[in-house]
Amino acid sequence: MNSGRKLRMVLLGALLGTVASMSVGRAAEPPLKVGLLEDVSGDLAFMGMPKLHGSQLAVEEINKSGGILGRQIELIHLDPQGDNARYQEFGRRLLNRDKVDVLIGGITSASREALRPIVDRTTTPYFYTNQYEGGVCDASMISMGAVPEQQFSTLIPWMVEKFGKKVYVIAADYNFGQISAEWNRKIMKDLGGEVVGEEFIPLGVSQFAQTIQNIQKAKPDWLLTINVGAAQDSFFEQAAAANLNLPMGSSIKVMLGFEHKRFKPPALNNMHATANWFEEIDTPEATEFKKRWHAKFPDELYINDMGYNAYNALYMYKALVEKAKSIKLEDMRKVIATGDACIDAPEGKVCIDPKSQHTSHRMRLISVGPKHEVKVEKDYGTIQPYWLGEIGCDLTKKNDKDQYTPNHLPKKS
Amino acid sequence: MSAEVFSVFYQFADVFAFLILSAAGLAIVFGMMGVINMAHGEFIMCGAYVTVGLVNLGVPLAIAQILAAVTAGLIGVLVEFLVVRRFYKRPLDSLLATWGLSLIVTQSMLLIVGSAVRGIGTPEGSFAIGGYTFSTYRLVLFGCAVAVLAGLYIIFMKTRFGVIARATMQNAAMAKALGARTGRIYAISFGIGTGLAGLCGALYAPTMTLIPTMGATFVVESFVTVVIGGANVLLGTAPAAVFLAMIRMALNASYGQIIGQIGMLVAVILIIRVLPEGLSSVLVRRGR
Amino acid sequence: MFKLLEGPQTLGRGRMFWSCFLVGLGAALTYPLFADSYDVGNFAYFLIWIFMALGLCLMWGYGGMLSFGQTLFFGIAGYGYGVLAINMGGGSATIAALVLSVVLAMIAAGILGYFMIWGGINGIFFGIVTLSATLVLAFFLGQTAGPEWHIGPARLNGFNGMKGMDPLTVGDFYIEGSALYYVMVALIVIVYLALRMLVNSGIGNVIVATRENPQRAEMLGYDVRKYQLLTFVIGSGLAGLSGALYTSWGQFITPSSIGLPAAAMPIVWVAFSGRSDLTATLVGSFLLLFGFQTITVYSQQAALVLMGALLLATVMLAPQGFVLGIGKLVADWSRGRRRGDGDVIAEAGRLQSEES
Repeated sequence: MNSGRKLRMVLLGALLGTVASMSVGRAAEPPLKVGLLEDVSGDLAFMGMPKLHGSQLAVEEINKSGGILGRQIELIHLDPQGDNARYQEFGRRLLNRDKVDVLIGGITSASREALRPIVDRTTTPYFYTNQYEGGVCDASMISMGAVPEQQFSTLIPWMVEKFGKKVYVIAADYNFGQISAEWNRKIMKDLGGEVVGEEFIPLGVSQFAQTIQNIQKAKPDWLLTINVGAAQDSFFEQAAAANLNLPMGSSIKVMLGFEHKRFKPPALNNMHATANWFEEIDTPEATEFKKRWHAKFPDELYINDMGYNAYNALYMYKALVEKAKSIKLEDMRKVIATGDACIDAPEGKVCIDPKSQHTSHRMRLISVGPKHEVKVEKDYGTIQPYWLGEIGCDLTKKNDKDQYTPNHLPKKS
Repeated sequence: MSAEVFSVFYQFADVFAFLILSAAGLAIVFGMMGVINMAHGEFIMCGAYVTVGLVNLGVPLAIAQILAAVTAGLIGVLVEFLVVRRFYKRPLDSLLATWGLSLIVTQSMLLIVGSAVRGIGTPEGSFAIGGYTFSTYRLVLFGCAVAVLAGLYIIFMKTRFGVIARATMQNAAMAKALGARTGRIYAISFGIGTGLAGLCGALYAPTMTLIPTMGATFVVESFVTVVIGGANVLLGTAPAAVFLAMIRMALNASYGQIIGQIGMLVAVILIIRVLPEGLSSVLVRRGR
Repeated sequence: MFKLLEGPQTLGRGRMFWSCFLVGLGAALTYPLFADSYDVGNFAYFLIWIFMALGLCLMWGYGGMLSFGQTLFFGIAGYGYGVLAINMGGGSATIAALVLSVVLAMIAAGILGYFMIWGGINGIFFGIVTLSATLVLAFFLGQTAGPEWHIGPARLNGFNGMKGMDPLTVGDFYIEGSALYYVMVALIVIVYLALRMLVNSGIGNVIVATRENPQRAEMLGYDVRKYQLLTFVIGSGLAGLSGALYTSWGQFITPSSIGLPAAAMPIVWVAFSGRSDLTATLVGSFLLLFGFQTITVYSQQAALVLMGALLLATVMLAPQGFVLGIGKLVADWSRGRRRGDGDVIAEAGRLQSEES
């Protein structure tokens, strides 16, 4: 009896000890390291700040609710100041020195292209969180933002139907602008429309008197404005002052650059855009999300789509890791290949497309009124990022590590 | 037809105003004292931000613009006293000092004011000729550019201060020996220069996006204009602006902005090759 | 010949200096043995930029020519390396691509230099012409995004930048990490010693004489233009070396490495370090590159403010440059203890030109 009791005590003690040591082992598990590169200095700071905030908010929320696979997240943010060389330096630093488990960030396409060769030589997943000109077929990269087939093949037909077949394009003279203009030409051709003028503007140009006159000479029905950066945004103010008064469409205005908050009305009057996110969405999930954001960052002028996508990126990473039960890129890609790498985001459900590793989005067409009020004109529902898959990019079979455009398609094999 | 003629004039006036307004301040600072003011763009930014701030407080635009120019001028005098004063004997080092200053100012503005400021909108008013509509405010800018040139001419050619300033510019030691207070002349001239930069920012503030790095869009054009104007800035800057504006406008109109930008820079290279001392050297020679 | 390693145009001479040099070199060579591999690669990366700074030091500090065009030749060789490496295939051909791209940059410098120097362009005009040429190349490359802009299979790819070239390779061995570091250290030592010999030779004396007074040098029977052109070609070629190495390092180059503000950086490094001396430029540029990176990593948004303050303080407190300023302090201090030794460094003052 005595000895039996003793035995029981010992057994109980051993059991307790094991449990204790297990929980100690659990708590000591190192945090997951998330490397983040966002410009919060320099020209692009006004777009980079919301991206940093979105990541910080997501990390805080995930950590509060128990982390990923029980591990906390440690966010390591470096500020490349808009310099591509710094992107490379810091990309290497995060990957080789801090040995992060996932890399997120980059604003311009150039910064993404600076990072890709470095990421491709590791087995670390990389999330790019901007809407962009599309076409990157790379197994290491997961794109969270909207792409042209989601934005232009909705916007342009609508604009043609509503305003007419003649369009004038003003675009920033670099890859994003040129490839977007290429998309416009392709879609307009299919619609039987006419591009009455195309003007490419060097980055940093801020004076548009000549452009405004060229537009008036060409007499378009509407304008496609894919000008980029703070300097080029001056176009809207100058066009309004010259009483240009044309309907405008864009893939980057309003939800991304929040020009309707930065300019005095009615400079952005009659602007149209297709967006997966804009702060004026008023579904219950979106309202809840906005409330959490503004509680943490009360000074935020506008929650733009980049910041929102950056927030989603961490939840997508969490979903992938938890489904794969692993932080290895190859295991996560197996989850993506099944096609149910999905999360319930504030816009609705979004999933990663297995072939291109880009994200499906619920797209809405919005318009800006004379007092800069935003109205939803049409809800397209969920649109898949189908284009890369159609032209022959299939990351489940082959890793191309290339960027395609309508003029630069994969070689037929 | 008359619409086309007017539109050519309008485009020329627009580029000309941009070049003159952005270069006038630099011309004084660089031409008078040989200081390479890399913070020129930041004085422009200062003018723009002060204007917007005052307008948001309810001050009428025109008054806000004048106050902004004055503010930039006073800050300029302060900067001259604290920093620039030490560099008259070694102007190339002023490049490093003012560049450091410009880094500090832009980033501090970002930290203090935030990354984006809401614009104030261009004053109402447009008019139509033929099929074109034009903004009235752009013509106001042209008027201001001409007024700035006239004002500089009067200050430096017709006043006592101007005579002493030009004497100091020619030979500082001699002027000092003759009793001119060169230190004060330099401070005032620097203040006028930065005040003009502030004026440029104030005038363009309603038409542009305001970000802390906005000054950078003015800098290349202003340096180029001043340098091809040559050593005698009072004589050289205006013809340089006329010349560059014509090239830029013609190329912009026929080949688009990118060729306009490249073409202007190529023109600069060629002009300096032909006239290594700048445009004013020819004008001065003619004058003699 | 080795006598030329020291002379009136360079600071540092005697057993003291060279033993310091050897200690420094020894430390550099043993550094990878105990450092993290990332840090070794990072130091190698800093060394890549030093050539550009040394080239500018030669042109500006010794020759009196303020070139704003270092990134022009950096870009020509950087893109040149990319185009050649892609077209000639990887492997050992990359070494040829490196050499050819530097030659290309030197030819370009020869043409631009001939155009400017024989046109009598000097002073600030020299700076503006080189800056304009630099911006022209940057603007041009920025709009080459379309697939029609290609040289062989190498796409220029506009603002997003050119990529897909192999790094420097010998046989199957990529020169990266520690290997790259040792190659860089070796190249730096060769270039540094060669430049010392150049400036202390007869040619170097003419270059400095031209800086001090071109007319006088001409009266003494030298065709100063030839010497200026030589200086410009060598200085720009060194910028080209930096460019080709940079492209090889990151397998990537964009037009923003050429345009503003990148174009101003070499001037900042050299002015900060002390443009009148090669050793000062070598040490100062490295310190500044390291300092700027460290500041950016640890201070987030305040980084640019601190960098600006550092420059402003340097130029106000140590007019001859940071390294020369420190050198002087050390010299004054050691002279206080033992007269004589500090004279070498104190000569810095005499080397400084009146104003170029």
